[in-house]
Amino acid sequence: MMNSMNNVEFLNELVNSKFNVVKTEIINAEQMSFIVDSRDVHTLLTLLKTSGWKQLSYLSAIDWIKEDEFELVYIVFNWDRPVHIQVRTRIKRDRENASFETIIPIYPGAKYYEREVHEFFGIKFPGNPDFHKQLILENWDDMPPLLKDFDPRAYSDSHFEKRDYPEKHINLNNQESKQEKRQKRNLKSLLLRNGGKK
Amino acid sequence: MKSTKFSPMTQEQIDKKWWEIGNYFRRNSLWMLMYCTGCCAIELPPAMTSAYDMERLGMGPMATPRQADVLLVTGYLSLKTLRRLIYTYEQMSEPKYVVGFGSCTINGGIYHDSHAVINKLDQYIPVDVYVAGCMPNTEAVMNGFTDLMGMIKNKTARGWLDYKERNDWYKKNQLDSLGEVLVHDEFHE
Amino acid sequence: MVVNILVGLGVALFGFVLQTAMGGINRKIVARVQKRIGPKWYQEFIDIFKLFSKRSVSHGWIFDFGVIMALGGIIATAMFMPVTANIIAFEGYDNFFIFVYLLAVGMLGMAMSASGSGNPLASIGVMRALTTMLAYEVPFMIVVMTIIKLTGGTSSVSEIAAFQQIAGNNWFIIALPLGGIVAIISLMGMLGKKPFETYIAPAEIASGPMVEYGGKQLGMLFVMHEITVFIEVSLFIHLFLGGAATLGVYLLKYFLVYTALNLISSVYARFKIDQVVVFFYKWPLFMAVTQAIIAIYLGWVI
Repeated sequence: MMNSMNNVEFLNELVNSKFNVVKTEIINAEQMSFIVDSRDVHTLLTLLKTSGWKQLSYLSAIDWIKEDEFELVYIVFNWDRPVHIQVRTRIKRDRENASFETIIPIYPGAKYYEREVHEFFGIKFPGNPDFHKQLILENWDDMPPLLKDFDPRAYSDSHFEKRDYPEKHINLNNQESKQEKRQKRNLKSLLLRNGGKK
Repeated sequence: MKSTKFSPMTQEQIDKKWWEIGNYFRRNSLWMLMYCTGCCAIELPPAMTSAYDMERLGMGPMATPRQADVLLVTGYLSLKTLRRLIYTYEQMSEPKYVVGFGSCTINGGIYHDSHAVINKLDQYIPVDVYVAGCMPNTEAVMNGFTDLMGMIKNKTARGWLDYKERNDWYKKNQLDSLGEVLVHDEFHE
Repeated sequence: MVVNILVGLGVALFGFVLQTAMGGINRKIVARVQKRIGPKWYQEFIDIFKLFSKRSVSHGWIFDFGVIMALGGIIATAMFMPVTANIIAFEGYDNFFIFVYLLAVGMLGMAMSASGSGNPLASIGVMRALTTMLAYEVPFMIVVMTIIKLTGGTSSVSEIAAFQQIAGNNWFIIALPLGGIVAIISLMGMLGKKPFETYIAPAEIASGPMVEYGGKQLGMLFVMHEITVFIEVSLFIHLFLGGAATLGVYLLKYFLVYTALNLISSVYARFKIDQVVVFFYKWPLFMAVTQAIIAIYLGWVI
């Protein structure tokens, strides 16, 4: 049985010898992250699956709105060598047409993860027969909600009735804050100490 | 021959008397259906077990909506759970009561600006008692239950009648926020 | 004849009132075991009358008819039950096998009604109830057959009780110790007490057969359940505890048996259905067969 550090070294060698990895990050003995080019993702995942990383634990996405990119994160797990691997890649952030080839041929379980990502980020997965069907948000009628330019407060205000409170409840918020009180007190004590001079 | 001592009661008065007798039984045996969606559900174990012992008030947990009298909505409701809550509420046998727990059911609480969480429960189903707090104390929860019993005694727990009378209004609010209450997709037939 | 029927209905009503009160008292006792105050002793009456005061939903005529059939079948069974040596509605008809067969009518009605509701959990619950019945009846029947053999071939419940009283209060639970243990375990299975309450399992299959009941139908099922418990506990008292000469003795024995069973069940967790069947077919069956061989062929009766 190999110890966990050996696993990390093994992986480093396995991946870096065959792929052009943009960045390798060893988070700890049980977690590693590879940032690769989007063209290499499918071959890398195939390699990892044949080497024992049989389980796709999660597929998520991150919206980097300033860099105009989506980042896809595939997390795979091996039951013999206990290392979680994150395969990260960046694709162009395009609200209408952002798309990425499905990984169903490699991991069939990705079907539902891809539906979820499509629902929350609007990324299309050609090759997945029903990525466009609804999964979690039932009857959603707006833009995908986890995009950074979606305004949840506006959506909430327009869809859900708010409770109206009588005026006297709101007045409580106009009281002096504790910080202001403390500053005033400090100022007063300073004045007293200096004999009335600032 | 007409009796001089007793004037016969009208049907309405007899019904009222029966209803009052029924109210005695109903308020002393409230069976709960716990809809544990949020964190306020954690207040129910101490209320049920030896610390506060809600069985001494005749309350007890029940397994299905048909058997239950009180629906406890413990915490925030996302759109998806609100749909299930409405099915559940409509399945309960009358008379039925609803207790809303925590600030999430009152005004959305810390989720007031979320895209997925509703803000005001009594917009969608009638709520008889609200227990405020984030989260409410167990004493507050027990107080809410005794309040509900008092309301049943005073005949002010009329939420289920309200749901019948103003059904159009409730249905309209449900449709406004949810689109449609019954979802048609591959997971629902 | 009319008097007999009235006495029989009186016995059924007595059984309902007795068992409902006992149920409430036992809820209080179990609450004290768990360091709680517990409900009022008449809480079960409040529960049942509340259920009758609610409005209920029907799921078709089989659903409604099955409930009435279950309640009617159980009341009919309770009418034959002797309470003491003197209080008995139909003398000479209190045969053990009459109870076994008539109890099945009530159970069948409940099974029919639960299946009529169309809920899959109800069907699972009914199936589990029948499986549990199959499991506990075999060892229980063997023990009762042994008793019938020892009393000289009479299967009348009141005569078996009288036999024990004539033999100097030599109760069968002491005379046949192994059989007595088997009977206690089987009784727990019959009443659906904790290790064997697989078929109502609230957290697992949402109270099984009762899943679609609410309001008046559930109230009728509760009444039916109370009378069933009365019949089963009474059978145990008459067959194994020497019956009762007076009403006071009967009430005392009833209270002791039911409370003991409740205390046992309050410290147990629930079996799975396969564990129930394997359990009943292993030790109770073995003990029952051993007891029968010892008592009948070797003649060793204490």
